[in-house]
Amino acid sequence: MSPRRSTSWALALLPLAFLAVGFFAPLWEVLRQGFQDQGRWTGDFLRTVLADPYVRHLLSFTLQQALLSTALSLLLGFPLGWLLTRYSFPGRDALRALTLVPFVLPPITVALGFVLFFGHAGYMNRALMSALGLAEPPLRLLYSLWAIVLAHAFYNAPVVARFVNVSWETQDPTLTEAARVLGAGKLRAFLTVTAPALFPAVLSALALVFVLCTLSFAIPLALGGAQYATVEVGVYLLARVYVDLQRTAALAAILLGVSLLLTYLYLRGGGLFHTLSVGERRQPTVPLVARRRPWRLLWLGYLLPAALVFVGPIGAVIADSFLRAAPGGSSPTLHWYALALSPDTSPFLGASPLGSVLTSLTVGAAATGGALILGIAVSAALRTIRSRALETLLMAPLGVSSVVLGLALLLAFRRPPLSLLPPGPWPLVLAHMLIVYPFVVRSIRPLWEALDPSLVEAARTLGAARYTAFRSVELPLLRSGLLVAGALAFALSLGEMTAAAMLSRPGLNTIPLAIYQFLSARRFGAASAMATVLMIATAVAILIWERLGRAAVWEQR
Amino acid sequence: MSFLELSRLSKRFGPVLAVDDFSLTVAQGELAALIGPSGCGKTTTLRIIAGLETPDAGRVLLRGRDVTAIPPESRTVGLVFQNYALFPHLSVEKNVAYGLRRRPRRVRRRRTAELLRLVGLEQHGSRRPHQLSQGQKQRVALARALAPQPDVLLLDEPLAALDAALRVTLRGELRRMLNELSVTTLYVTHDQGEALALADRLAVMHAGALEQEGPPQGVYSYPETVFVARFLGRANLWPAQVLEVHDGRALVRAGGHTFSASTRDASPGEDAYLFFRPEDVQPGDGLPFLVTEAEYQGDRWEVRAQRQELEVLLYLPTASAPGAQLQLSVPESRLQLLPKGSAR
Repeated sequence: MSPRRSTSWALALLPLAFLAVGFFAPLWEVLRQGFQDQGRWTGDFLRTVLADPYVRHLLSFTLQQALLSTALSLLLGFPLGWLLTRYSFPGRDALRALTLVPFVLPPITVALGFVLFFGHAGYMNRALMSALGLAEPPLRLLYSLWAIVLAHAFYNAPVVARFVNVSWETQDPTLTEAARVLGAGKLRAFLTVTAPALFPAVLSALALVFVLCTLSFAIPLALGGAQYATVEVGVYLLARVYVDLQRTAALAAILLGVSLLLTYLYLRGGGLFHTLSVGERRQPTVPLVARRRPWRLLWLGYLLPAALVFVGPIGAVIADSFLRAAPGGSSPTLHWYALALSPDTSPFLGASPLGSVLTSLTVGAAATGGALILGIAVSAALRTIRSRALETLLMAPLGVSSVVLGLALLLAFRRPPLSLLPPGPWPLVLAHMLIVYPFVVRSIRPLWEALDPSLVEAARTLGAARYTAFRSVELPLLRSGLLVAGALAFALSLGEMTAAAMLSRPGLNTIPLAIYQFLSARRFGAASAMATVLMIATAVAILIWERLGRAAVWEQR
Repeated sequence: MSFLELSRLSKRFGPVLAVDDFSLTVAQGELAALIGPSGCGKTTTLRIIAGLETPDAGRVLLRGRDVTAIPPESRTVGLVFQNYALFPHLSVEKNVAYGLRRRPRRVRRRRTAELLRLVGLEQHGSRRPHQLSQGQKQRVALARALAPQPDVLLLDEPLAALDAALRVTLRGELRRMLNELSVTTLYVTHDQGEALALADRLAVMHAGALEQEGPPQGVYSYPETVFVARFLGRANLWPAQVLEVHDGRALVRAGGHTFSASTRDASPGEDAYLFFRPEDVQPGDGLPFLVTEAEYQGDRWEVRAQRQELEVLLYLPTASAPGAQLQLSVPESRLQLLPKGSAR
């Protein structure tokens, strides 16, 4: 082995060692708990769990809701992707930017919005009651399969729209033009040229949505309750409510298998999502509002209800955070914000609201810093050593459900070496680091791969050692990518609730958990104020992401 | 004394032997051109000298010191990349100063200004690379490589990214600057015009190995192999049979005629090639040929003519049309015999 080759293996060893202690060993502990009885390996717990009718219900319900959610996401998302690609209208760019929102909008705020908007006493029911003069709320949507499916569609339709839009927009318009010149009508050109090229993107989006819905936690927890629980929620309930460790571990093992399999299939199929022909020109657009084409206004029949589903819940959260019930209506107030930032211990949280906010910010900052370092180390290792096996190992946390990861760390922090860490929110920081660093890798790796290798070589021949070349050439050129990754990592950590729910303990509470706890206690005002704070923090991160993301792409050109 | 010495270098990439037992020496202050078709291993050789590739066998000696195992940053070698590899996040000034980081600030500033003046970019120090033209980028890359005063300057196809007219202008400029600095230079190119115009010495590389080296006129006029004859300029090559050899000259038979040509090591009875350049063909008297093709080139006509199985390429100052008859001859001193075995 040449000296250069051995240095790059040493480089790969650092992140591997970190993951071995902080990720693989804890996961192994879960498997051990689930498959070992007094030191002997056994499948008994797994068999008991699989024979349990409740677990079977969990599994079939998880599959059912994921399939329905995926279908509804396609139904709602594809037209939006079409609209964004083919038509020009005021606010198009803003709408396109908004499709990024679900990537970082914390699911618990969506769940809260659904309760406030579609709930028994929600805005929708109140409006219908007063409009139709009814005495009873006509909509009974919450705590059902459909509440979960609709919330998932809210969350994932923009994902579908984004994939469709990006794939369609980069399609070479000359292909359709060639078809038209060869005698194909508009419809035939769409069916024979455009649609086949879009198919991989749509399939890829659906696969992603299916994975996300299968592993969804906060939405089924808040909107479904124990009866409409998914496997993720089931593991959480078993671990934190029934405290049945062996059954939890066995179920977690199943979930681990499912999540790894889904991620593997998604990434394998990811090769499909390559735009077949990237055009020099962008797809041409036509104005949505045109006097000679009044039928285009039929789009309003889609846009208006869609806007209701998308804007209503978020609007309800923001509105409720500023309103207080008063005799004969409601009055504006900042009371809920004072409560959401109060340093006094709240009986609903087991901690102070302000403490939860500070914990979220600290954990977010620490996890972001850690994830950036780990992400750079992993990207550097994958850049120098092209090995599928190494990539699988280094990116493995991407495929592990957050609830399983939470359980693994819960167990791991009870014994050395992790229990030797000084007191602090370490389990949560580690969990968030592991959840977000794959995204860091994904946002800087393409930039790094696209960097001309002769830049580093030039630095070397000019007297810079390898590390100096990294610091003075590669790092500055990756800066925008790192900022984007940092913003995304911070936003994801702030909104993350699954691992947080597994790892919370008295005194260690986060914003999403506080929202969930206020929501469970039906303290909607306080929950809304907290959610609004969270959404603002997230929105800032999205703005940075969208702005810099575009800049990063341009710099490469 | 040899300043840069490459001794029996070999480098294999998987099944491909990129550099094959390659040796070359460059004297101090000399401008040597390494020329060959793309994929012949010349860039790999350059990268081995810079320390960006490790050879499988052989050594690189710089001022008599073995630097084969020394990392690139510790060699005193400047490299101008084919795509220039300017740091996009740094200004022109900072690009040039990059290799001077260890020097005192005063030295750094003076040297940067000096080099920017040399390449005529003193007004552009604060620009970013993307604001420069291709020609300006090339000059920044040169200034950056020269700034740390390297023992050897390596240039990897420095003009290949430019369009044809600019290439010729910058070629002259490059020659002026390199002459002024008299820095030891190894220049890699696949363009014979560039190599002939710039180099003090030419090394022709073929399939990883050294094919021939020498002063440009020598290599051009007296190629030792069919490959060199074809690669540098245009060549007439006639299959011939050696009849007798005497005192460095051979009597050969080609196309039913007997010719006398210079040779190095031919022996009677073997098959060989009779070689001469198109510009050596003189019209007037000699063997009659029939014109088959005539192409107008602006400053001259490029003519192909035939006599039985012999075909000849020549240049004429005046028009000639297919079907016309020409009497052609080549001075005996310009006829050379090249060994057949080298026709790869």
